[in-house]
Amino acid sequence: MSSSWSHIGIATLGLIALKGCAEVETVKAPIDIPSRIYTANESSNDVSVIDATTYASLGSIDSKNQSTHDLAVSRDGRRVYATNLASGRLSVMDAGTMETIASIYTGQRCHVVALTNDNKQAWVANIGDNNISIVDTETFRIVGTIPTGKGPTGLTFSHDGKFAYVSTQGDKTVDIIDTATHQIVKSLQVGANPHFLVVGPKGYVWGTNTGGTDIYVIDPATQEIAGTLEVGAKPQQIAFGFKGMQGPNVFVTVGGTNKVAVVPADPKNLKVLEEITVGEGPNGIWANPEGTRIFVGHDKGNEVRVIDTGTGQNLGTVPVGRKPIRVVVSR
Amino acid sequence: MTQSFMTRTVTITAIIIATSLSAFAANAPVGWAINAIGTLTIIRADGVEEQLQGRKTMPLYEGDVLKTDASSQAYIQLKQGVNVALNEETSFKILSRWQKDKPTTWILRLSQGEVWAKTAGDGPKAFEVETPVATAAVKETEFNLKVQPDGQSILTVIEGVVQFGTAFGTCPIRTNTISYGVRGKKCTKPADSDAKAAKAWTSTLIPPSAPVQ
Repeated sequence: MSSSWSHIGIATLGLIALKGCAEVETVKAPIDIPSRIYTANESSNDVSVIDATTYASLGSIDSKNQSTHDLAVSRDGRRVYATNLASGRLSVMDAGTMETIASIYTGQRCHVVALTNDNKQAWVANIGDNNISIVDTETFRIVGTIPTGKGPTGLTFSHDGKFAYVSTQGDKTVDIIDTATHQIVKSLQVGANPHFLVVGPKGYVWGTNTGGTDIYVIDPATQEIAGTLEVGAKPQQIAFGFKGMQGPNVFVTVGGTNKVAVVPADPKNLKVLEEITVGEGPNGIWANPEGTRIFVGHDKGNEVRVIDTGTGQNLGTVPVGRKPIRVVVSR
Repeated sequence: MTQSFMTRTVTITAIIIATSLSAFAANAPVGWAINAIGTLTIIRADGVEEQLQGRKTMPLYEGDVLKTDASSQAYIQLKQGVNVALNEETSFKILSRWQKDKPTTWILRLSQGEVWAKTAGDGPKAFEVETPVATAAVKETEFNLKVQPDGQSILTVIEGVVQFGTAFGTCPIRTNTISYGVRGKKCTKPADSDAKAAKAWTSTLIPPSAPVQ
């Protein structure tokens, strides 16, 4: 009897072990999608797709909406989320099949989208409704809204995910939202028509005052403005990279001068190190993961230029859709 | 009077079924407003306002905002067999979500007030009600959802199961229970509730003889 039970016990343990193995074996391997550059094209209502290694155009994805404006890519590279200003909708795109698989109404004049650090939610800022819509990225349901200041236009999360930063063009502020309570805990006055926001090295949050001539930096430790810098008329978007040993640097597209301003990513040492001349209407910008290339979208030239951060030279120009606003690169 | 109302409802049902076949036609109605005690104001997507008073029919389109004032209630039917009543001082917008290979989900974005909803007919429905802090997703059910000025949302399930989700999690709420959705929190654990009392306000709006399809 005792022997039978021990046999059963051993057999059970064996089955558990086998089951464990089976479970390990059935874990689905993620689909490998090579790194890509995506641009949101406001006038052609689509997203251009470029191979981030060869810079070859791979085609475009129809957003099935109007005025495709901003983009976010999931960490695994499988999903692309695009806001559509005129439609007030978020398009969800399958990067593998290069097609839109869902269209979600978020709010009037939805402007920017940012994914929470765990990628379980997409936060979308609606300029016309003065709020943020929270989209569940599994069910595509709106699971909440957060009121903000007037005309939310920029959105990013802190490195630890505890705060969201929202720029508001109407109030000229950055609202800091506690992501645990969905309450605004602080509002910082910034400049004219603040637009783009992005978190950078050491967790500093960088923003552009697109209606003015300057950029600003928020210190995540104090939640105060740590510095500002004049870079030229219509500063648009920001990326981070290196110039050889030098860096990390901040690369700012300056729409009024058709240049990219290069600035140390150190809020205590803000100065323009150099200006890289680019094409007409530089707007979206993103760097490769190594920080050795920046990809600059030109909303007048309908192209992306690949710039070597070491030399400032243009390595190639890729035609994209009409009026590219945002550039993002998958990891 | 009642018979006439029934005839009209059957006719509307037929129209709704017919229009549902052309779900993606840009100008196809997504449902009909069919009764208003007081006045139901419909604000079209282009800002044009129309009003319904009494038992008449008025087509509803995606993007419409429906409003009742302090002395008005209304009753509408969305296609695919979704029946909705609006209590006093209620406002919502009719929206949809499109997903590849799935039926269109019809959504009411409730900004203020109280709605009762019942899905009926064959098969599960793709229907949701959003509030500022939560979403009630249903397939085959009857429920009442009220939103307070601060966004707090009170869901009472009269029959069936509702997936009640906030940004902090989703809970299944079942027959004869109530749950609260509050900003910054998961919805509360369901508590027993007199669910039928929650829909008492609809009694004068929907005649007992009116077939809820």
